[in-house]
Amino acid sequence: MSLDEPSLARLMAASQRGDRAAYRALLGDCRTWLARYFARRIAPHQVDDLIQETLVSMHRKLATWDSDRAFLPWLAAIARYRWIDMLRRQRDEAELGDNDAAVGAEDEAVHARLSLDHLLALLPPKQAQAITLVKIEGASIAEASRICGQSESLVKVNIHRGLKKLSQYIESE
Amino acid sequence: MTDVSIDDLIDGLADDLKPIRPRRLLRGGAWTAAAWLIGGGTLLWLLGMRHDLAHGASMAPMPMFAFWLIVALGLAATWSALRMGLPGVGRDYSGWRWAGLAALALPLTALVVGLGDTHAAMHGMDPHGGMRCTLDGLVAGLGVGAALFAWLKGGAPTSLERAGWVVGVAAGAAGAAVLALHCSSDNMVHIALWHGLVVILSAIAGRLILPPLPRW
Repeated sequence: MSLDEPSLARLMAASQRGDRAAYRALLGDCRTWLARYFARRIAPHQVDDLIQETLVSMHRKLATWDSDRAFLPWLAAIARYRWIDMLRRQRDEAELGDNDAAVGAEDEAVHARLSLDHLLALLPPKQAQAITLVKIEGASIAEASRICGQSESLVKVNIHRGLKKLSQYIESE
Repeated sequence: MTDVSIDDLIDGLADDLKPIRPRRLLRGGAWTAAAWLIGGGTLLWLLGMRHDLAHGASMAPMPMFAFWLIVALGLAATWSALRMGLPGVGRDYSGWRWAGLAALALPLTALVVGLGDTHAAMHGMDPHGGMRCTLDGLVAGLGVGAALFAWLKGGAPTSLERAGWVVGVAAGAAGAAVLALHCSSDNMVHIALWHGLVVILSAIAGRLILPPLPRW
């Protein structure tokens, strides 16, 4: 397994020429890299789904990598796009009142929250609290409403607005 | 989702692989330039060149200044839009913003000219003819807008709203540049208002129309 930029770029160039063995090796390396990338950004139970979505997007957009440029920033851009897309979907679900499954308190979950905590700190406290309770800790809207002391509709609004702002922060990263 | 299903996915994607031709910025740029030449050429063929150019003379200095300013904005926005089709974290797409800031020299010049000559300013703001100019410019930029949209549709733009603005500015500036070769007015208020409106309206249209379309 070779996660260094020159090796990945070589594998990608061979993949663009149609070398399936190189492509299989590249996808395996990308999977490892993506697992690390997403582990610090989303809840652990969503990582595999996001890796799969990113690999499919990468496959569809193979032609958009230019061999004169580095490979990892290209992969990171696709990964970030898929991540933002997932945040958007969560925002839309928040509008409908859906909830995520609860995230366990294992080590992994703590790591996954590291960069989220940084982003959440940029939000108004009420929005950050609503997102933390419902989207990360898995509380229902009703439970979050009791804990926050806000009405259920206000919790939904705060989640909607907060996730929208998070998407904007990430896009401007 | 389990590790096994990711392994299956990787096998499936690898089996599905076919040789592909990487997308090159220069090729996208060539298509966009061709779209501009066809759109602009058609408009100028139908409506004619401005009178001084048609007689082999040079443009007056101020309209020429406006023309090159708009061309610079169009080139910067087109280049940014093309680069947005090839993603990469940390890439700088902001060239068009600097060109846009420089283009503010146009309305500022018009303001100074207008304050010095209110009769010319009133004449320049006359919508009769002005609106026709704006419409012609919008039509002349459609080719560039379509070419850039096609480029982004086949590419992987990661910020669709920004891409919408930039494609709109590029198409509008392309149309306004063609307009500068057609419209015979040397009135800076007319140029800043009605030709500048082409860029503004086109940018708004790009922002409203484009983002949902190239989502991938």
